[in-house]
Amino acid sequence: MADHSTTDDTRYVGQAVRTIEGRAPIVGAARYTNDFVFPGQLYAHIVRSPHAAARIRRIDSSGALKVSGVVRVLDGAEAAAHLKPITHYIDPAVFGGKSAEVRVMAVDDVWCYGQPVAVVVAEDKRTARFAAQRIQIVYDVLEPVLDAEAATAPDAHIVVPGWDSNIMMQAPFRNGDPDAAFAKAAHVVKTSVDIHRFSTQPIETRCYNAVWEHDIEGVTLYATAQNPHPLRHVLSEVLGMPESKIRVHAPVIGGAFGMKMHGHPEEALMCLLAKLTGRPVKWTETREECLLIGAREQRHHMELALDADGVILGLRDRYFANVGAPSACPGWGMAFLTGLTMPGPYAVRDIDVQMTVVITNKPSWNAARGYGKESTALALELAIEDAARQLGMDAAEIRLKNFIRAEQFPYNSPTGLIYDSGDYSGAVLKAMHAIGYEGWKARQAEGPKDGKYIGIGVAFELTPEGGALPGTMVAGYDSSSVRVAPDGSVRILTGVTTPGTGNPTGIAQIVADELGVTMDAIEVTQGDTTTCPYGFGNYSGRSTIVGGGSAALAAQQVRAKVVTVAAALFDVPEADVELHRGVFSVKGQQGRTLTFKEVCYAAYTGAYSVAHGITLPLEATATFKPSNIRHTPDENGRINPYPSYSNAAYVTVCEVDVETGKTKVLAFAAAHDCGRVINPVLVEGQACGAISFGVGGAMFEAIAFDSSGRQLTRSFMDYVMPRSEDLPAVKMVHHDSPNPVTYMGLKGAGEAGVGGSAAAVVNAINNALIPLGVSLNTLPLSAPNVWGAIQAARKRGQREAAE
Amino acid sequence: MSLYPSFARPNSLAQASELLAGLSGGSVIIAGGQEIMPYINHGAMQPDIYIDIGGLKELRGISEADGVVSIGALTVHRELQGNAIVAEKLPMLADAASRAGGGRQVHNRATLGGNLVAMHPLYDIAPALLALGAEVELVKAGETRRTSLAALMHETSHGLGSEAILVRVLVPAMAAGTGWAYEKLKLSGGAYGSANAAATVQLDAGRITAATLMIGAVADRIIDAAAAVQGLIGQAWTAAAAEQLELRCPALVKQPLSDQQGSGEWRQAMAGVVARRAMAAAVARAGQK
Ligand SMILES: Cc1cc2nc3c(=O)[nH]c(=O)nc-3n(C[C@H](O)[C@H](O)[C@H](O)COP(=O)(O)OP(=O)(O)OC[C@H]3O[C@@H](n4cnc5c(N)ncnc54)[C@H](O)[C@@H]3O)c2cc1C
Repeated sequence: MADHSTTDDTRYVGQAVRTIEGRAPIVGAARYTNDFVFPGQLYAHIVRSPHAAARIRRIDSSGALKVSGVVRVLDGAEAAAHLKPITHYIDPAVFGGKSAEVRVMAVDDVWCYGQPVAVVVAEDKRTARFAAQRIQIVYDVLEPVLDAEAATAPDAHIVVPGWDSNIMMQAPFRNGDPDAAFAKAAHVVKTSVDIHRFSTQPIETRCYNAVWEHDIEGVTLYATAQNPHPLRHVLSEVLGMPESKIRVHAPVIGGAFGMKMHGHPEEALMCLLAKLTGRPVKWTETREECLLIGAREQRHHMELALDADGVILGLRDRYFANVGAPSACPGWGMAFLTGLTMPGPYAVRDIDVQMTVVITNKPSWNAARGYGKESTALALELAIEDAARQLGMDAAEIRLKNFIRAEQFPYNSPTGLIYDSGDYSGAVLKAMHAIGYEGWKARQAEGPKDGKYIGIGVAFELTPEGGALPGTMVAGYDSSSVRVAPDGSVRILTGVTTPGTGNPTGIAQIVADELGVTMDAIEVTQGDTTTCPYGFGNYSGRSTIVGGGSAALAAQQVRAKVVTVAAALFDVPEADVELHRGVFSVKGQQGRTLTFKEVCYAAYTGAYSVAHGITLPLEATATFKPSNIRHTPDENGRINPYPSYSNAAYVTVCEVDVETGKTKVLAFAAAHDCGRVINPVLVEGQACGAISFGVGGAMFEAIAFDSSGRQLTRSFMDYVMPRSEDLPAVKMVHHDSPNPVTYMGLKGAGEAGVGGSAAAVVNAINNALIPLGVSLNTLPLSAPNVWGAIQAARKRGQREAAE
Repeated sequence: MSLYPSFARPNSLAQASELLAGLSGGSVIIAGGQEIMPYINHGAMQPDIYIDIGGLKELRGISEADGVVSIGALTVHRELQGNAIVAEKLPMLADAASRAGGGRQVHNRATLGGNLVAMHPLYDIAPALLALGAEVELVKAGETRRTSLAALMHETSHGLGSEAILVRVLVPAMAAGTGWAYEKLKLSGGAYGSANAAATVQLDAGRITAATLMIGAVADRIIDAAAAVQGLIGQAWTAAAAEQLELRCPALVKQPLSDQQGSGEWRQAMAGVVARRAMAAAVARAGQK
């Protein structure tokens, strides 16, 4: 962990303030969605397809309806009669792709294992589950397609009836003259990178509890939702009900990572069931169901053109994303971001990247931390490692040679992005220093000890954050209200939400400084469409940038009001009034003070005297809209959907036991640029979390299927995330370049790090295995896979020796 | 099957045994619940009645008499790790119990009996007990019977969990100077074992006079590697002996498990690696106190 001492202790910003919302979850007092139970509560159990591809011939629910306690059974066809298709969070058609009609439950055709087929509502959970076993469904089972490239074959099973192929979208990301770059290259390095399906597993699974509001013929949905307002909009379309009759309330969330962005069938389905039964209906996801939500699976065929000195002249990439069955969730957009973020931090102009997004009979994706940018980092960093090896260059040196330089910002990327700021070389050097790079190199040079090979891995990740996609509810701006009560206590209401990252604390720190009050005067309210200002919730590392930015603007407006009142009370010019941590004073006049509370009360009660000049109440709502997002296409049709470009360098040392293939991470360092640190504990917590995501994904987390498309990974026994013993203490250093356009220079800090840390681990393992001739770019680099690669290399060696 | 099972908590072994004998199917014994509750919560098991054996004093306590350590089936993993008798007489059992996953919370509730009755191929305690030649005491319909753990693991109608109660585990104290080691290979910190080996060895003047070796987590049953160990008797533990052992063990794995703990090919090879490592560590420890 970094040194938390700070020079400016007159401000909360920059300090390791304890989280204000952290206590309740720790002592078990937090109320999660599943903790809400209402009078007359009913419970839903969803019947899911055991087949990956099938036609539904018949559904017989009569057996379930006979079970006492069952209130309602619904199948896909009946639900479709009540509900419109789910509105896409990001409609592929807006980006030139194919848009499938996604229903809450399968109608006629099953697209994937685990797809909802029917639902039972009963007086309690067990009855619902028991009755669900009594529903008889006859399927015609079909041969599924599971591999992305195989799914593009002309004779492959078509997942969505009526489509001409399984390709959902194809798009080029091209710039300059890549063919010329390759023609003049001294070296061309080809690397295939296989990123497997791994996921984000919040400890709190999803839960929706829909309460029918008889008085207004409307619905309140208690939901594990990252984006309550946009979800309300989707519900209004699917249910055919005005938004004004719908309330979405997202209580405390126990982790989300993108998985709780909406488009899930259960959201509208619970609302419908509440409407049909007139009673509250709740569904809580099991871990097995949670593991159905996929992400990340991509295969890249990369080519780098390099000159004799290791300068990258051009880049080609053909990549295939296996996004599974169509879904209304925003998962598929990850694949798009992978291409858009090429060529990451490198100053390559001539690029030819081709994205192919493929629908298969695997369960659907949803957004997952990294949002495709982790795949960019993996593909790039593994390819660069290969290049370094083939050219005999040091892994760090080749990167330093090719980075965009600090003085080149703002930098127009070849895909149209406008990188705001950064010092990539500086970050790599800092991370190398933090880990003691030269020392480890010396240790590596001593050779393996007891069959344990040491490798050093370097990787970089550029993470565009705070995104805004035109024509979608992925918006770049957000709003907050600051309300001060007559007793001087402060409530901040934000359009952004927290998935448990601590952003309410960061936002409160900003407001405490801007308004001039103490932290303990502040409460933060988020996640309720009826009380909070319109907002887009959390994703893309945006909540502190736009939530904090808008709250700062609102706080400034309220501060101006109270200062006016205080000036009247002191009878001095406003310019002479000072306000710090809840105490007003007069410049140059010691001893003349008023408390914040006194001034606030005077304001509320002095509308015709001291508060004459201000608009009461002491409230303001403001919006923060980063100015550098550009949705008007340039001459090449490109847009810049991101205001901030966080970045970080990762260096790790791994030890591989060649007998077993098992790897141990010995050391890990990161140099992180999030523009400006509001609270180092929050930033480092996020960064360390992302690192363990990356390490887990690189080394063992995997979602597996059998050849018929049934998912094998069904519990935490099979899906194992890293434990503390799997990671050394991370040495974290900050290397911040303030963002010139955001409030206080903020960049996103919540998302970055998954791909960079995963790539660093893969590079370290491959680096360790150079003496054995192993290069393994098929993830995960689990012990059996590493062992298999070592065996294969040995056999290859023996064969070559024999020839 | 019942949606809302009843619950009984007998106070003595006799009472429990009588109760079980009087119930026709659908009853399930529950001890720490670490094994069974996830199944029930998941809907994979729907008992009519839980028989909570937590109140049976006969199933508690650890004692030693005549060179045999008697361990109550309700002994939790934490007790196995910290008990003085176990530490002195059965250090390999203490070690194996400490290597089980799940952390403190699980170790505080998970019982020895529950771990054994689960007969899960990936679990850690059975390989250690088998290598130590443990016996078990069972009660079924009022009758007490004693058998070797090895034999029990091949019985198909022992009735444990529904009709029969595992009362105690009886383990010969390890002879002074016995070398031992429990080797566990897992994919990551939170994973179940992918290949486990429990070894004991006696040395005399540098030569192996006796040895046991059990290999777990590579097949659906724990493998007794006696055949592979046979060749070591009378030999010194040399590089060649180690290599021999490593080569022989995979051959004993007829049908390796192939699951998310690793592919069959790898598991089979790892059977040899963990066996060799366990034996090497056991030899290194032999003769020391
Ligand atoms: C997260 C987690 C990780 C784990 N990791 C490991 C590991 O790495 N290695 C390992 O070895 N184990 C591991 N375990 C398994 C754990 O050791 C067992 O689940 C535990 O010992 C079971 O004991 P229990 O008392 O909780 O059994 P229960 O769940 O109460 O019962 C289990 C079964 O045994 C029967 N039963 C219990 N006691 C008796 C008895 N005295 N007589 C007859 N039948 C009985 C029950 O009817 C039931 O069928 C793990 C468990 C968890 C939850």
